[in-house]
Amino acid sequence: MTVKYLRVVNRDQCIGCFSCMYACSRMVHNAAGSGKAALRVKAYTGVEGAFSIRVCARCEEPDCAAACPTGALTKAPGGGVRLKKELCISCMACVKACAIGALQWDEEEKRPLPCIHCGQCVKYCPNNVLALCEKEEECEPR
Amino acid sequence: MNGAILHVDMTTGTHRMIDDPELFGEFLGGTAVATELLFRHGDPKGDPLAPESPVIFAIGPFSSLFPVATKTVAMFKSPLSGELGESHAGGRMAMSLHEAGIEALVITGRAEKLSYLVIENDSAELKSASTFRGQSAAATERILREAEGKSGRKVSILRIGPAGERLSPMACATVDGSRHFGRLGLGAVLGSKNLKAIVISGTRTLPLACPKEFKAVYDILYDRVVKSKEMKKYHDLGTPANVRPLSLIRGLPTRNFSQGNFEGAEAISGERFAKDFLVQHTACAHCQCGCIHMAELREEFAPYHYSTNRVSYDYELIYAMGSMLSLSSPEDILKLLLFTEKQGWDAISLGCTLAWATESFLHGVLSLDDTGGVSLSFGDCGAYLEVLERMAKGESEFYRDLEMGCAFCAKKRGGLEWAIQYGGVEPGGYMTGENFAVTCLLGVRHSHLDDNGYSIDQNLLNAPKPLEEQVRAQVKEARWRMVLNSLVICLFARGVYDEEIILQGLDALGAKWDAGKLRELAAKALLRKHEWKRLCGFDPAALVVPEKMYTVQTSTGMIDRESLQQRIHLYLEEIRR
Ligand code: SF4
Ligand code: SF4
Ligand code: SF4
Repeated sequence: MTVKYLRVVNRDQCIGCFSCMYACSRMVHNAAGSGKAALRVKAYTGVEGAFSIRVCARCEEPDCAAACPTGALTKAPGGGVRLKKELCISCMACVKACAIGALQWDEEEKRPLPCIHCGQCVKYCPNNVLALCEKEEECEPR
Repeated sequence: MNGAILHVDMTTGTHRMIDDPELFGEFLGGTAVATELLFRHGDPKGDPLAPESPVIFAIGPFSSLFPVATKTVAMFKSPLSGELGESHAGGRMAMSLHEAGIEALVITGRAEKLSYLVIENDSAELKSASTFRGQSAAATERILREAEGKSGRKVSILRIGPAGERLSPMACATVDGSRHFGRLGLGAVLGSKNLKAIVISGTRTLPLACPKEFKAVYDILYDRVVKSKEMKKYHDLGTPANVRPLSLIRGLPTRNFSQGNFEGAEAISGERFAKDFLVQHTACAHCQCGCIHMAELREEFAPYHYSTNRVSYDYELIYAMGSMLSLSSPEDILKLLLFTEKQGWDAISLGCTLAWATESFLHGVLSLDDTGGVSLSFGDCGAYLEVLERMAKGESEFYRDLEMGCAFCAKKRGGLEWAIQYGGVEPGGYMTGENFAVTCLLGVRHSHLDDNGYSIDQNLLNAPKPLEEQVRAQVKEARWRMVLNSLVICLFARGVYDEEIILQGLDALGAKWDAGKLRELAAKALLRKHEWKRLCGFDPAALVVPEKMYTVQTSTGMIDRESLQQRIHLYLEEIRR
């Protein structure tokens, strides 16, 4: 099985519509709204139109999992992380450990929202900002 | 929908949450619900700037759920027209209200000192805004994003600029990046409550009742938004695409509605702006179209030293600050817009008022004494910038009057014939003919978006139609927009949302609506607004078209007094049918 990575390939084409976040909430979590998204589009105040998109890097050695005190968040086969909900104590250590701010927090359920690299957000981005790639070299972020 | 309504009393600083599912069940949401809340809480005879005068915000059943259901409706008594005040804005506000679990927000009272309101889910807190009194709309957003930003959460910020603090009836309220409750003076009403800003965030999502159905409807809408021609035009050149074609058919108001073709149209066209100034498109939250066009304005403020600002532009702004003032340089227009944006004025009302002042000066109705030595002439951007600066300082009675709008100025100082306003409200940028005049006169908020008057006019150029048919088509559209504005959908997506898909969408959300009930709602909402207007003293029999408009050539020829009367009569009959 080839491992897929969610990547930001055209950051500067982003219009800040949040369609990707809505897609993740809706398609992966069956929730209407954007609060269950496993990625984040950030706007910078004062710099109108500059957006930064934070997605899970599918780390070889995930800092988030390393920070989890209970073993709820663990590295998944091939990279990325998986959550065992029953072990999660809602301490937020994982979210704080993700330096790029990719790991999101479910404010309703009080637990992290690990990305499963399924590509739904890619499908619903109207501007080709995101891509699902097999190997990093194939789609270097621009 | 539970119909959650948050009431905030600025006087006592208290709030309470009330569920009124019946109200939303009967009136759907958005504009129709807000109108009912205005009946409930407002006094049509009251002073719009009195503490008890309510400001109502409402979203609808599609808000934050389906693509391009991005707008929030604001309802209030307008200090500009003295009757129904209604304005819509995008940005992130609808999303944030939805995430906070609030479907309508009612604000009454007046805080003792300048304050801002922080809403987080169902809590509301008033905080002091003393430290940023007088700050521009842009600076206020920067300040509050830092002060109230929640890590990992999206926050919407509504605020007024100095114009709103000064209670100018042409003050707008700005939402997030460059979206506005532009028209009819919401900025002054918020200012009168000592409310500088509202910060909204929440954590709620909605579990899908029928995920399969919901996703199917969503996908149809998504494809239409992203792939249809209907929305592509708003994304590509955006509304400024209209500058050239409207000028070609004598429909682009030029030099205070003296003529409809502007010799500088090419130079300020959407194509020109896109080629030389456009740097970025942005979008309201959950709109994959993204019609917001950001231009970059680079100015040399000292030799080899530059400042750079991003300014949003669209057709109405190019008309109000461009052709109306005979400015054919995009830089000039952007400079005026940047100043306007910081002060928090409504660009349309401001542009029309500047045009009235210019014509009045040229006719000798205003003197150099009045203007404090500023010589006004069409095409002179330097003079206009000077005027804006003096208005911002409130330098003299004349400059303080200017921010009251052109109807106020003309009644006090003369030049009423060429004060282009309908019921006190300066019009959008169309000089297309009688259908548009009717929109301005009888549209519930005197807005070019109340119906399709200007496009009916334009279509007449290709295919003449009997007058009765035109009026009927206009009322039909005005009614239909009650549905769109209750849902609340951005009107740029009006080609995407037809009755069928709306009903499917409501179905997928488990709401019980059918075509008959929707149409009933539309007719009723329109009538209720007219009812409120009349209670305020709006009298359709006393409607006045500025005299000048009978003397100028429009796209469809001269405006005829008799046929206009006939249209008004038919329109009022038709809305009751
Ligand atoms: S790849 Fe899937 S799980 Fe990850 S952010 Fe996109 S939609 Fe969500
Ligand atoms: S869907 Fe694409 S354009 Fe829209 S916010 Fe996400 S990355 Fe940006
Ligand atoms: S079309 Fe423009 S105004 Fe309408 S929702 Fe999209 S970005 Fe906002």
